[in-house]
This record gives sequence, C-alpha cells and structure tokens, in this order.
Amino acid sequence: MHKLFAKQLAKATRGGKRVDLALLGELVASAYEQSDRDRRRTDRSISLMIEELDKLNRSLELQVEERTAALRERESELKAQNFRFDAALSNMSQALLLFDASAHLVISNQRYMDMYDLPAELVKPGVALVDLLNERKVRGSFQGNPEEYVAKILADVAEGKTGSQIAELPDGRTTFVLYHPIPGGGWVSTHEDITERRRAETQIAYMARHDSLTELPNRLSFRERLAEAFVSLQRDERRAVLYLDLDRFKNVNDTLGHHIGDELLKVVASRLRSCVRESDMVARVGGDEFAIIQMHIEQPIDTETLARRVCSAIKAPYEIDGHEMVVDTCIGIAIAPDDGAEPNEILRNADMALYGAKADGPGTYRFFEPKMDARMRARRELEIALRKAFAAGQFELHYQPFLNLRDGTIPGVEALLRWNHPERGMIPPAEFIPVAEEIGLIFPLGEWVLRQACADAACWPDNTSVAVNLSPTQVMSKSLVPVVISALAAAGLPAHRLELEITESVLMHNTESTLATLHRLKQLGVKISMDDFGTGYSSLSYLRSFPFDKIKIDRCFISGLPNGDSAAIVQAVAGLAKNLNMVTTAEGVETQQQLDEVRKLGCTELQGYFFSRPCPARDILAMFPRRLEKPAITALAS
Amino acid sequence: MRTEQLSWSKPTGWHNGSTSPLNGSTSPRNANLVLYFGAREALASGSRYHELRAMFPDAHIMGCSTGGQISNDDVTDDEIFAAALSFDHTPLRLASAPAPDAAHSHACGEAIGRALAADDLAGVFVLSDGLNINGSKLVAGITSIIGNAVPLTGGLAGDGARFEETLVGGDCPPKNHAVTAVGFYGSAIRIGHGTAGGWDEFGPRRSVTRSVGNVLYELDGEPALDLYERYLGEDEAKGLPGTGLLFPLLVRDPARPQTALVRTILAVDREARSLTFAGDVPQGWVAQLMRGNFDRLAAGSADAARQARAGLGGETTGDEVALLVSCIGRRLLMGQRTSDEVEAAGMELGAGMPRLGFYSYGEISPHATSGVCELHNQTMTVTTLAEVAG
Repeated sequence: MHKLFAKQLAKATRGGKRVDLALLGELVASAYEQSDRDRRRTDRSISLMIEELDKLNRSLELQVEERTAALRERESELKAQNFRFDAALSNMSQALLLFDASAHLVISNQRYMDMYDLPAELVKPGVALVDLLNERKVRGSFQGNPEEYVAKILADVAEGKTGSQIAELPDGRTTFVLYHPIPGGGWVSTHEDITERRRAETQIAYMARHDSLTELPNRLSFRERLAEAFVSLQRDERRAVLYLDLDRFKNVNDTLGHHIGDELLKVVASRLRSCVRESDMVARVGGDEFAIIQMHIEQPIDTETLARRVCSAIKAPYEIDGHEMVVDTCIGIAIAPDDGAEPNEILRNADMALYGAKADGPGTYRFFEPKMDARMRARRELEIALRKAFAAGQFELHYQPFLNLRDGTIPGVEALLRWNHPERGMIPPAEFIPVAEEIGLIFPLGEWVLRQACADAACWPDNTSVAVNLSPTQVMSKSLVPVVISALAAAGLPAHRLELEITESVLMHNTESTLATLHRLKQLGVKISMDDFGTGYSSLSYLRSFPFDKIKIDRCFISGLPNGDSAAIVQAVAGLAKNLNMVTTAEGVETQQQLDEVRKLGCTELQGYFFSRPCPARDILAMFPRRLEKPAITALAS
Repeated sequence: MRTEQLSWSKPTGWHNGSTSPLNGSTSPRNANLVLYFGAREALASGSRYHELRAMFPDAHIMGCSTGGQISNDDVTDDEIFAAALSFDHTPLRLASAPAPDAAHSHACGEAIGRALAADDLAGVFVLSDGLNINGSKLVAGITSIIGNAVPLTGGLAGDGARFEETLVGGDCPPKNHAVTAVGFYGSAIRIGHGTAGGWDEFGPRRSVTRSVGNVLYELDGEPALDLYERYLGEDEAKGLPGTGLLFPLLVRDPARPQTALVRTILAVDREARSLTFAGDVPQGWVAQLMRGNFDRLAAGSADAARQARAGLGGETTGDEVALLVSCIGRRLLMGQRTSDEVEAAGMELGAGMPRLGFYSYGEISPHATSGVCELHNQTMTVTTLAEVAG
C-alpha cells in the first residue's frame, strides 16, 4: 500500500476501528489536489524557464553580435594602426629595435638589417641579442665582446638608465647607438649612421680654422697657436712672429683679375710653407697678409735667415695661366718674450715693425725696435693734435715779403703756414705738413690757407700779390681749380694777384693731368712759380714743360755766394729766366753781400731774413705803401 | 540525561505517552530544561506555560509558536509537543532579550551572548521571534560574543502560514518581540548538529540590482515581486508570502561562489513590489530561484540527522534527544507528505532517540562546510543532545 495512503487511512481510523470515509476522502482528495498543484507549478516553472532562457539566449546572441562587430572594427583599426606603424618603422632613417627584459628581440625594422647586412632569417622576433652581435662580429660590423656588451645594457636598463655610444665600425662608418629602457623591463635602441654628419662636422671645424683658398690656417687658428706658443714658452726660449704682406698684389688683382690673384695667393702660400719647418706655422691672416710663427730659435740669426728666405721665395717670378708676374713683400718681425709679454703686444709690435719695413721699401724686413714704438706714438699724437688744431684755429699765416731788386718795392709776399701749438709752441711746417698729407688733412688745410691768403691780400695795395705753396697732392687733386676760384671770389681778389708755388716733384707723377690743372690755373690769370729750383733731378726739363711765371732759386745756391760755381749757376739761371720772360727770386738772402751779388747776377727779386722775416698779416700792412729808395735799402741793412 | 516526551491537545490536555493524563495533581517532576512548541493560538493565553511551570517547578522552560510541531514521526498543527530533559552533570543558564525590530537584531544577539558567555560554555540553543528579527544579524551578534567554536543552534518561531505574529518565551509566558536562549556548560554535554537542504536551483542567474538588508526590491532591474507572481501563477500568488516559500532564493557572492545561502520570504510589500527575506540578500550578489524535489528533501533530512548523530560520538550514557528545526517552506511544499522527511531523519537517528521539533521561519546552525553559524532557510537542521558519564 502506498505509504501516504496508509497514513491517511491511519489518520481516518484514529480512535476506533471504523474508517471515517469522509475524512479519508478529504485527505485523499487533498493529496490529489496538492499533486495537481505541484504538477502545474512544475509545468509553469519549466515554461517560464524556457522562455527566460530563450530571452537570455537572444540577448546573449545580440551581445555577441555587437561584441563581434566591435571587435571587427577594432581589428581593422588595429590593422590600419599596424600598417601605419609598419610604414613609419620601415621608412624611418634610423634602425630601430625593441628587446624584452631577457634581451630577446621583439621588434626590428628593415633599416637595421640593411645597415648591418644581416639576413632576414636571423633577425626574427625571439632571437637573442647576443646572437645578432655574434653575426655582426663575423660580418665585421661589431667589435668587442658580445656577452659583455649585452650584460652592460641589461645592467643599465635594470637601473632605468639611458645609454648611448658612438661606434667607429671597422668598415669606416660611424654610428650612434642609443638605448632607452621601457616600462616592463625591455628597451628600445636606435642606430643612426652619422658618418656623413661626422664628416660634415669635421669639415666645418676645419673650415672654421683654415683659409679655404690657400688651405693655410686662418686668423683664428693663428691667434690660438700664438697663445699656445706663449703658454709653452720656457725660460731662455724664444719664438718669433713674422708679419708680412704682399707688395703690388693689388696691382695683380686689378690688372689680371681676381682669378689670377687667387692663384697667386695659392702659390705664395705654398712657397711660404716650403720656407718654414714642421713645427712652425704659416697662416693667412688677411687679404694679402700672412703671418709666421717660428717656434724654435737656436740662434738669433735663425729668424733673420728665415726672413731672408721668405723674401727671396716671394720675390721669385710667378707664372700663372700663361701670365708672368712678380710681387714683393715687406716683413715685420717681433721676438717673444723680448718684444712682448703676451700675444696682443707681440702682434702690435710686429705690425709696427712691418710698417717700418714698408718705409724702407719693398723686399725688406725689419725687426721691431722699442724706439719705433715711441716714434709711432709721437706721430699718432701729432696726428691727433693736427686734427684738433685745425678745428681749434691754431693755424696762422705768416708772410715773408719779396723785394724787387730794380725798384726796391715789395711786389708781393709768400704765405707761410704756422702752427701755434698751445704746449709745444710754434711747430715748423716741415714737421707737420707730411703728416697732414698722410692723414688727408692737407686738403682742408690747403683750402683754408688759400682763402686766408686771398682774404689778407685783398687788404693790401692793388699791385701786391700773395704766393701760396702747393703740395703735389693738392696739385693732383681735381678740386684744386674750383677751390682757387672760390677763394679768389670770396676774397674779391683778382687772379693775377695770386701766385702758386710748386716744386718740381709735382711734375713727376701724373704729368698730363697735372699740366692740365696748371694750364687751367694759368688761364684764370693765376701765376705759377717753380720753387726750390735746382734741387731736383731735371729742373731744366720741367721748365720746358710748362710756362712758369717765376723761378725761385733755391737757397743752397745763394748761401754759397760769392763762390764761383754758385755765382755761375745763379747767373745762368737768371739769364735763362730773363730769356723765357720769367721772374727770378733768390731765396734765403741773409747778408748784404749776398744781396749785392744777386743783384749783380741779374735776379729780379730776393727773399730772405736780411730783408724781412716772415711776419703776421698786420705787420705786412705796415710795410706798405712805401716805395723804398735805394738808400732806404741800405738804411734797412744797418 | 533523561528525556520525557509530552504532548498537549485540546480535548485531552497534557500527555506523556502513557494513558493517564498529566495534570496539576501529579507531583512535581525533576527536569532542568523543558522545551515546548505549538500553534500560536494554543500558546497565546500563556496557560500552557503555567501548566508546564506547575509540572516542572525547577526547570528552565522555553518554547515558541510554530508552523507545525514534530514529535517522533508525527507532524501536527493543533497539538503542542514538549520534552522535559534532566541533565545530570550539565549546568544550564537561560537568557532572554527583547527584539523590538530587525534593526536591533545584532544588539539583541550581543545581549544574549554576553548573558551566556563563560569559559565552559559548551553550546547554545536559541529561539527567536520570527518576524521582527534579522536572523543573520541575530546570529552574528551572538557569535560575536561567544565565538565560532561554541555550537549555536536553534530557530525562528513561526505562525503557520499566516506570518502575522510569533511568540517566544523563556521562563515566562510566550510573547512577541522576544528572543530566548539556553546555554549548556561543562564537559559532560555532547552536542551534535547537522543541516541540509534538498532544494535545487533552476533557471537563469539573476543579479540583485536593488536591495536593502533583507528587503529585496529588484532582480535584474525588474521588481522582485513581479518575478514571484509570474512563477506562482495567479492563484498561488494570492497566497504570498506563504506561497513564496515554494520558491526559495539561492544567493551567492559572485566573488566567493562557495558561500551559497538559501533565503526564504517572510513578507511582501505589494506597493513597493518588494520581498522581505529571513536573512540578508546583499546588493550585487547573484540569485537563482529554487524548487523542491520531494525525494531530495527527504534525503536532505536524513543527511542532517546523520551529521547530528555523528556529532554525538559513541560514548554517551543515558537518553539522547534530537531537536529538529525544519523550515515551513518544506512543509508547505510537501503537504501531507511532510512526515516523509521526519521519518527519514528518524531512520538515521535510530528508533531509540526521541525527536522533538517544529517548523520555523528560519533555522540556526553551523554551516555544513564552513562551520560558521548562520541563519539558514528551507533546511532541516537537527541538534542532538546527550551526556557522557561524569
């Protein structure tokens, strides 16, 4: 019997033998109902579960679809990304490698294989660095111990250090290798071929220190070497600096062109190189300027020997491109440590010595003398003083009158420039005129003299003239004529009252243009006198070249009177002048006897202390308007 | 130890199995501890307590209302079953604490724990209000004081399938909002325990998307009550919360899958569409519906009984007793066949071991695998008591 039914029966029979059928029925029916409920519940559960699982499935499928789509998109993005990376990696100029923490290759690019000529089968992910290096060693692109090298990198990477090295490969290339740790324990390394860069750098460094034309060290190198030479100077040791430039180089450049000029410099450079020792230095420090450092001097004569050798080397003729030419040189020499305690001083003094050598003429050399320095300094001081003087109006014109030997009148005066230096007092023109010419001050000074002289003369009687000295520089200048015209006009002085005195040296250079100027002046009405007649080389021939108005016989002939030779010359010149319709003036008459002589010999005028010293303008005025009688002359003489 | 089983029914009053009834005229008997379980209506007046008190003046008397009582192979609704235990060498102490509401459950447990704590505490048997308590928190509160080494067993009182009011009494007439516990001391007592289920999870895993403590609002974003109404169907849904017991919930912490717990519905809120469970249903956990399989339920009871029997060891002297606390949900499912599980348990425990128990709203017992005491639902838990020679 079913266990449950037995229980139900027992329950329905409780308390007696009779079965309570109603109760039993209830219990049984209730059990059936419960069973039904149970079954329905189970069925419902199953259906619901199926439904839910279905829904879940569909939702999962949808999710999977979406995920798959997303993944596919991601994949194509990654593909594109990879493609880009690949392109970048393949085309970058450096070789790139990525290693993991155990020094095995993860990524490499084509450049790496190309750079070291490694086979593709070797350079694969997973290969050990040490194997790559061994292969490179075999192929000759790696020197050293591969194991040690790898160990070093691993040690550095472990400390997070970035490392780099420049490797000179056995095949002549230079590479720059950089390795950089990455998070996670590996590292990235890049290799760059810097051979060209290195070469360029070396080249630049060379070019910075060498003259590109002659390949000699340049000024910068020279200065450096000089400084070194000083530093390394031992006691009792001497070194010499020779400064030289080429004479007439400018000519070559101007006449034959820069190309020939450049070739010439190259030949000069090589000749200089052959003059010096291995330990010496030849440098090109300027356009046509060179310098030599003579490092070892056994005897003082060694430097002189070198200088002579250089001179003759340079002087030897050149043939360039079928052209023959010669150049010369001047050399200035300074010796360390005597002539200078440090480079700048030595250079300055060598330069001064060169300046001095130039004064001696081409093909010469000069050693620095301490006096040179003093002289230079004095000259420079004079220069400065001159410029100041002009601005400060320290110049004065003094006038020395001529005396007409026929009628005792004063036909005119010579203007003489005086410089009234506030400290030094009167400085004679012989001292400052050459300096003025050198510094170009002669033009403004000369103009001032003309204007002042004309202005002063305008105050004097109409029949008096003023004579102004001109230097060759002034005569060669194109501005002379306009200046003269302007000075005359400003003073209101008639041209015939102006005399211009020139020495024969004026006619030595640029004769054509000089003559043209002189003729032009003569056309204006100005008178031209030849000064210091008889002192030059060809006074007579110059007389022929131009119609002078006056000849001034130099004092050297007058001072010799009444000596026979001098008298003869004076007489001859006076007669010559007379025939050529020129006035003669005897310069430097200082005694009565000389006066009588020159008159006897036929001179027209005289000038000299005997008659009058040069004096300021106001004093001259006092001399006019007397007409001097002969007795007056005698009176003057006493 | 000696065990005497008693029962009470309305027509016959108190019986102990012999033909003559027990009444106030009988001389007082010796017992240290009397346990009694009955329907709420039968206990509400308090008279039964007083009667027991008269019969056992020196004993601790504790009992509660139920969803059905067990005595040996019988399961009834209308009778009161009791057992009087006389321990020879085991001191006892009774502790009670009020349970005003679920929020105070932990504190309540702590109070019980403090009252019973001692170095020689060997075990605790607790009966708690079934509706105004958070069983998990109560258990946690007690074990926070007595530790995990002391076996803690017991159950939550029931109220048939009504879920309206439960009564618990410890040395006093049973009342609501109460928790009472007895502590066993000394080294003579032997306590065995076992717990087993027999419910199978089925269907999709659902996520607890909104819950607060033991109140479940939403599963997978859907109101929890909707799910249950669907599965119960229109007719049975009307019987919520009682019928909710047919589909307990298996809850699991997704980070620790082995901590699976079965949870029973205690109440429903038709407006909030929420379900209140006898224990916590933490948000973020995974839940699955379960259904009962008769054969497995019975096998489960047998399993629990086996575990409890084994826990006694072999050296006990005198009588033994088994206290069975089974879940109202099992009774609801099995209906007339509920006794199958009680019989199955009996088979394992042996004919000589008297059995007393009740159908509760929650079972308290150490977890079969973790050993940590927890509130269980839908289980049969068995506690065995015996003494060894002193």
